[in-house]
Amino acid sequence: MKNTVRFIFAGAVFAFITPVFADEISEIKAELAQMRSEYEQRIQQLEQRLAKAEAANKEVASEVAIVKNTPVPKTHRINDFNPAISLVLNGQYNHYSESPDNYVLSGYSLQNEAGLVPQGFSLGESEITLSASVDQLFSGQATFALADEDGNVDIGIEEAFIETLGLGYGATVRAGRFFSPIGYLNERHAHAWNFSDAPLIYRGLFGDQLTTDGVKLSFVLPTDQLIEIGGTIGSGGHYPGNSGHRGIGDWLIFAKTGGDIGISHSWQAGVSHWESSPKDRAFGNGNNPVSFSGDTNISNLSLIYKWAPNGNPTQQNFTLQSDFFYQHENGQLFNSDTSMGAAYNAQHYGGYIEGIYQFIPHWRAGLRYDHLGSSFTRLSNTLLSDANFDLTNTNPRRYSFMLEWLPSEFSRIRAQVNYDQSSRIDDTQFFLQYTVNIGTHGAHSY
Amino acid sequence: MRVLPLLLLLNSFPVIADINIFACEPEWASLSQELGGNNIRVFSATSGLQDPHHIQARPSLIAKIRQADLLVCTGAELEIGWLPLLQKKSGNASIQTGAAGNFMATNYVKLLDVPVALDRSLGDIHSAGNPHIQTSPLNILLVAKALSQRLQKIDAENASLYQQRWEGFSQRWQAAIEKWQQQAIPLKGVAVVVQHDNWSYLFDWLKIKKVAALEVKPGVPPTVEDLNKVLNQIKATPAKMVINAAYQPSRATDWLVDKAAITKVTLPFTVGGDEQSENLFALFDDTIQRLLDANK
Repeated sequence: MKNTVRFIFAGAVFAFITPVFADEISEIKAELAQMRSEYEQRIQQLEQRLAKAEAANKEVASEVAIVKNTPVPKTHRINDFNPAISLVLNGQYNHYSESPDNYVLSGYSLQNEAGLVPQGFSLGESEITLSASVDQLFSGQATFALADEDGNVDIGIEEAFIETLGLGYGATVRAGRFFSPIGYLNERHAHAWNFSDAPLIYRGLFGDQLTTDGVKLSFVLPTDQLIEIGGTIGSGGHYPGNSGHRGIGDWLIFAKTGGDIGISHSWQAGVSHWESSPKDRAFGNGNNPVSFSGDTNISNLSLIYKWAPNGNPTQQNFTLQSDFFYQHENGQLFNSDTSMGAAYNAQHYGGYIEGIYQFIPHWRAGLRYDHLGSSFTRLSNTLLSDANFDLTNTNPRRYSFMLEWLPSEFSRIRAQVNYDQSSRIDDTQFFLQYTVNIGTHGAHSY
Repeated sequence: MRVLPLLLLLNSFPVIADINIFACEPEWASLSQELGGNNIRVFSATSGLQDPHHIQARPSLIAKIRQADLLVCTGAELEIGWLPLLQKKSGNASIQTGAAGNFMATNYVKLLDVPVALDRSLGDIHSAGNPHIQTSPLNILLVAKALSQRLQKIDAENASLYQQRWEGFSQRWQAAIEKWQQQAIPLKGVAVVVQHDNWSYLFDWLKIKKVAALEVKPGVPPTVEDLNKVLNQIKATPAKMVINAAYQPSRATDWLVDKAAITKVTLPFTVGGDEQSENLFALFDDTIQRLLDANK
């Protein structure tokens, strides 16, 4: 038995050291190839398992993220509830071919600051706006305008109102002082206008802008096309009204509608009507003894169209906007120096149309055309000359061109040229202006 | 008598409690559709080709938000220029800040790139952090869970339906995440240049390495000097691709592609950013495919 084992062992050893024949080599080669492919398969399987395990890890990671996401307590500061503050700074350089002191708008009596800004460098208006939610029901907002009037700082309350926060049924109530919802441009602060001065019709009818001290109620109807209706009642204390009313001094109704046409176009149209009955309202340009008492009413039609390719205004966009007003005044003129009175019946009408084109990002150019008219069915020549009222030009007109550079959402540098035919003498006006907004991010209103 | 059958017919219609959703961006409109199914009607305020930061409070948007029961937006100041204005004008109580119908997606994920200093000279920065969270499917999952809970709260009658849809979505989405992660293995550690810094979450997820941004200050167009800096940098240490979003013009990207051996990739950024990205699933299919193609 032992010998047999020894023999087999010796045979096996012998077999190993025996020279290998050719067919055996190919057999071994085939075996090796098979082993290799098997290993490759196993490696592949292992790799796949590894990838799966990694993916599973990711899943775990996502779950960890959920845990991680439990909010971290924030440190609270004592001024956390302070209102949002934004400050608008504005400065300009102006040049006119005629003296701005002689500026008149033929057929219209200019009020307050409705003239031209002084020649040369001027600071213009600086504006501070504060706003915040008051509580769960109200928000509050105030805008103060600071202007330098011959060395005296004049602080004006442009707007100061409270407003309901989501009353329901599309209703919003606003109370306090606010820009009246008459016309498209009227509700916007001067720094948000596309030109550095007001359209002539705004200058002539309102002394640039109409303000209401009172209450506004508005409804957005539950329709897919915007329909907003509303109205205001107020003190009637702002031009072309004047102070001295005991109860409701002016009222206004308005309606707006608008929507999109496709993805690149949008529009809005509005109508509004305002009425008041001023007593002893100064008439004519500057201080004079003649005053108006009677009824005044103003109707407005406004249209806005905007284009932005694919609804993305960042690169290029175009805006076409227009406001048209018609005013009717009927009453008496009275000269307090001569105690002479006479009937007065007048119609003022006109508007502007402007187109603004952003041709490349951060650059915009715009054109504006103003056209006014007036007609008087009753007007006493004596009182007319007493008031030093200019009637030399039946159709004041103005052409404006502007070019803007907007380095960011918060700053703007603008150059503007007007060819102004407001009165007997034509005037060429040039403005170079900067406007910046510091603080809270402004709203992109339509 | 003739009216009666008509009334009966009207009565026989199933009463569907339609929840009107106003989504600020298309990714949230798509997610709302996934989670709400037939119980919701969704309107997207922006499309995949619009910059969600630069939107105006257009009349059509006021009309839509007036009728909304639920607002699904990004938050973190992305819509700061227009959403607060829309809320104010809406006269709609249910979507005001703090109401149940006010859902801000960024409240449910951890934000990256929270700035250490807040100054407008640094460009268009968001104080709460990077708001472009939809570039990672992990974030989508987190937001989806919270959104489903919100739907169940607002429309309690149909809560079980929303729960079902959430469970279904969650399963499909996690399987999809696994698939995307497998596909994206070759992208790990790949060096890329971006035009605008809005891919942080995508890169964080796929471990892609951002080596430079063409816009040094977010929102401020790069100067030639900025661009040359990036060019010199990638000449020294090459990057594989330069990425821009479909809604942004690719001028800066094209400049770099022209000057250096680098591949341009335009990613959809959100649902509707390109033809393929019809929904959230397709968005990531397409995003990863485009990255892989550029990596070849």
